[in-house]
Amino acid sequence: MSMPLIALVAALLAAQSGRVSYESFALPNGLRVLYSEDHSTPVVTVDLWYYTGARNERPGRSGFAHLFEHMMFQGSAHVKKSEHFQLVERAGGTLNGSTHDDYTNYYETIPSNRLNLALWLEADRMRSLAVTQENLENQRATVKEEKRLRVDNQPYAPTFRSAIVWPFDSATCFAYAHPTIGSMGDLDAAKLEDVQAYFGTYYAPNNATLVVVGDFQPVELRRLVSQYFVDIPSQAAPPAVQCDYRLAPGMVRREVEDEHANLPAAFRIFRLPPHTDPDIPAIELLNVILGQGESSRLNVGVVRRDRAALQAGMFALTERRGPGVLVAFGIANQGVAVQALDSLIGAQLDSVRRVGVTADELSRARNAFRSDFIHERETTFGRAEALQHYNLFHGSVAEINSDLDRYLAVSAADIQHAATKYLDPANSLVVIVRPKAAPADSGATK
Amino acid sequence: MRRVGTTKAALLLVLNVSGFSRLSAQGFPAKPPRPTPLSPVRFPPFKEATLANGLQLVLVEHHEQPVVSVSLSFRAGGIYDPLGKEGLAVLVAELLNKGTASRSAERIAETIEGVGGSLAASASEDFLTISADALSDQLGLVFDLLGDVTQHAAFPESELALARTRALSALSLSLSQPASLAGRIFGKEIYGPNPYGRSATRDSYNAVTRDDVAKFAADRLRPTGALLVVAGDVAEPQVRALVERVFAGWRGRPPTPRPLAPPARTAATDIVLVHRPGSSQANIVLGNTTILPTDSVYYPGRIATQVLGGGADSRLFLILREQKGWTYGAYANLQRYRGLGYWQATAEVRTEVADSALSELLRQLDRIRTQAIADSELAAAKGFLVGSFPLTIETPSQIAAQVANVKLLGLGDDYLRLYRERLAAVTPLAARAAAARLYRRGALTIVVVGDATQLYDRLKALAPVRLVDGDGKALTPAELSPKAAPVALDPAQLAPHTDSSRVLFQGNPVGASVSALRRTADSLIYTEQSNLGGGAFQQTVTLVLDPADGSSRRLDRVTIQQGQRSEAHLTYSGGRVKGRSAMPQQDGTTKPFDIDTVLPPGTIDEDAVPFSVPAFPLESGKSFTVSFFSPSDGAVKLLTFKVGAQENVVVPAGTFQAYHIAVTGSRVPFVMYVSTTAPRRLVRTEYIGQPLVVELVK
Repeated sequence: MSMPLIALVAALLAAQSGRVSYESFALPNGLRVLYSEDHSTPVVTVDLWYYTGARNERPGRSGFAHLFEHMMFQGSAHVKKSEHFQLVERAGGTLNGSTHDDYTNYYETIPSNRLNLALWLEADRMRSLAVTQENLENQRATVKEEKRLRVDNQPYAPTFRSAIVWPFDSATCFAYAHPTIGSMGDLDAAKLEDVQAYFGTYYAPNNATLVVVGDFQPVELRRLVSQYFVDIPSQAAPPAVQCDYRLAPGMVRREVEDEHANLPAAFRIFRLPPHTDPDIPAIELLNVILGQGESSRLNVGVVRRDRAALQAGMFALTERRGPGVLVAFGIANQGVAVQALDSLIGAQLDSVRRVGVTADELSRARNAFRSDFIHERETTFGRAEALQHYNLFHGSVAEINSDLDRYLAVSAADIQHAATKYLDPANSLVVIVRPKAAPADSGATK
Repeated sequence: MRRVGTTKAALLLVLNVSGFSRLSAQGFPAKPPRPTPLSPVRFPPFKEATLANGLQLVLVEHHEQPVVSVSLSFRAGGIYDPLGKEGLAVLVAELLNKGTASRSAERIAETIEGVGGSLAASASEDFLTISADALSDQLGLVFDLLGDVTQHAAFPESELALARTRALSALSLSLSQPASLAGRIFGKEIYGPNPYGRSATRDSYNAVTRDDVAKFAADRLRPTGALLVVAGDVAEPQVRALVERVFAGWRGRPPTPRPLAPPARTAATDIVLVHRPGSSQANIVLGNTTILPTDSVYYPGRIATQVLGGGADSRLFLILREQKGWTYGAYANLQRYRGLGYWQATAEVRTEVADSALSELLRQLDRIRTQAIADSELAAAKGFLVGSFPLTIETPSQIAAQVANVKLLGLGDDYLRLYRERLAAVTPLAARAAAARLYRRGALTIVVVGDATQLYDRLKALAPVRLVDGDGKALTPAELSPKAAPVALDPAQLAPHTDSSRVLFQGNPVGASVSALRRTADSLIYTEQSNLGGGAFQQTVTLVLDPADGSSRRLDRVTIQQGQRSEAHLTYSGGRVKGRSAMPQQDGTTKPFDIDTVLPPGTIDEDAVPFSVPAFPLESGKSFTVSFFSPSDGAVKLLTFKVGAQENVVVPAGTFQAYHIAVTGSRVPFVMYVSTTAPRRLVRTEYIGQPLVVELVK
């Protein structure tokens, strides 16, 4: 091969890397199926997304989508309580489910000779969830422990979980104005009828997409899917979700106390547009430049140069059909005043709005995305989740293979524009977290 | 579009072949489908070499994605920290990529992140490992950086200062997390003087000097015995050339470490209760030290531990979570080190069931040590451990991690090949024997982190309890209970005023309350009139106080509750309270009773809470424990008021800067928000766990 040809082949291969080939079909009941073959390891992932999550909850029932997710592991017509875990684990598989704002996913990664088991389990609970008062009580207790473990009993977590929903008004956008984990009171209020009604409305084949990735034969997959899912009846489309919000309604500051924190912290939370908005790639690059990695501005400036924070960074919640949030945060080093830390974080954000980003920063952010796109697709589960993501949050699944180009095309001007628009102080909520000062036994009257 | 069209056609074809009617006649299979044949999984091939300088190289070629991961591990983990300098290995790891002779810290970060890669080092107990990830066309750059940081790290003093600050803050953060607190204390208890049980402290981080860092790196980061693993889309000649270029001139071996001190031998099972005030859960960790990594009891022990607490299909999870609903998860695991490992079982449970949960954990421990595991359970555990193996080798970095683990722990060349066979061969008797040997039921260490005021009495019935605080310092049970002391009320805050409040239930107004404080010639008089539920619940309170110190003189209270009238008329004098009151009964009636009781000094009538608390010498961070007399219970209660930071509170009367005051000691704990400017007012009251709020209207 001549040298130019080798270079050309290399370029072609590079362009192919991270590509996901897939096929799709649908059942008459509306269940959509996407699949992608990969025979390199005898493993297969079955990933089922139902299009319901915290955004579909109503006031008084916050946390319900997540409580319901737990109910999905409590048994169905042919699977006894706890048997779902057992069947999958005994087959050498792993499984889980998770509740998000816009969807709830259930997945199994399993040796490929048990694809039939994973599909059968998902079909059985889609057609016949066993909902009993006893199961509901048991899972209500489990979810409360999960909330205590992950949120209530951890430093910063209760504040953070609450703070990311504060930018939205529960009167006009309850969907994104309440925490996914819900409140103890609402969890207590959930009734058996609620569980049944929720299952009927949202856990229907026409409100779900099944993705299968890994070592299987498509003919066999189609046969199994048809056999297990075809006679599950479709349901009326779920009620639409409303969310009205306004960017930049004016800055709000809040101070809260954290019983478990030893160090104060500062959060700045900004409203973002839905995932389909053309600004999203620029916002996500901005997020990387400001707050991801050792060479990010918040780390280099606030952590390293100013020595004001133990940790400072940024992250974006953008996987939503409604508005998202961008969060800049810092945990103050000992002896650093939290107001000073907050100002230093603010100064870093302002500098991007005023001066923009450098060519090196832009190149670094683009390469970070190039690398992320490849890494997140290394495993069968990663590819399954990517297919589901594009199916729900993008105009077409085909964008799974073109989306990176949008990120690589973002310019420095696009990023400055995004910073100016979204990091506007009037678009922010500033939250100062202070440790609860006195331990209980610090004595009476001082 | 075309693709969708074809697949739909194909689907119809499939459906026609099987036939709709036949499908419904057959129905959905009532039993799980049987496994189809599985092609045997072999561990992916890898190449090994040892360089002249003693560096071991492992190469895993894997061309699916254009990525590469490289790791370089040294026997330079925390167990080699000098006594009193715990945390040194962690600081060395943190500082390796913070500057070399030719590159600044920023330059290193920009270089690797500029190509979308990462480079970081970390120290575990046994090893210090530098790991890098990048797209495979950047392999040369990765090796350049790896060579530079291992051989030419500069350890600038300024970077040490920064790393120390961050380490101290991280330590503070981890001490605030109940699980890490439990882990620290558990390690210290089971290992005693053995280095595997040590944790860094503020003092040990502060004791580390730049010379310590440089000497540790110079001594221990040497090629002999180190392991370099390269995995991904790379070719052997290219890797060999890079290794040669970057590492060939590097020489040396780490000093032979002195034998480690033997771990503490626990004589009998006991409980270390770590007091974490206000904790809403109890974090339980129990276990003991076990075996060296090469001990063959590992295989039956691994099976037994899987059955006991390996996952959602294990006994602990099924019983503590699925049956009892006590916890989000309960697990058991075996930890292997190069030296003596340990096993532990963990659960985070709600405080009220901590004793039941711990008893159940111990019962399950007895069961697995004394009764052979049923064949079905044994098959399930093996099914998971053997069957899930392919899931652990999907990506090149996973494959590399498996190989590195074997090499670093010295598990032997046939380990990966025979791992599944050895597990599959474990018998019920072997698993029971392993459980009996590994889980030392008579000499377990049990650590519970939680609110000891609620846990101490529950736990002491199960085993002897040693009470400690978060720093491990011994506490006595008496130190857990706060003592009441009189509080001097600030007269400036007791200015005459009238407050109107509304009561919200589940966010809806259900009633109102008007309270007033006024002065007469010789008294301070507080009145409060409440009306809830449209007259269903009415109450009038008149409390006469001494204007000099706000102490109670006389209470008259009339309550009408769904037509039932009850009254309390009390006189406070000379350290006693006398009079007649009534206690509501479950059937809706009230039962009158006489009161004549001696009161602790400084006791206030309970009805005074709304105006006396604003007159406390409030200041964020303070807490007060005050004795109150409750007329309806006829008893003294100790209420503790913890004054938190100031917050902005919005109520119908306006927006107030207010203290957040958490009140405990009453049947339902509550939070009072008290405005900060004199005269202070109670602007909002929230009842914890109840949908009830009282807020100031004007």
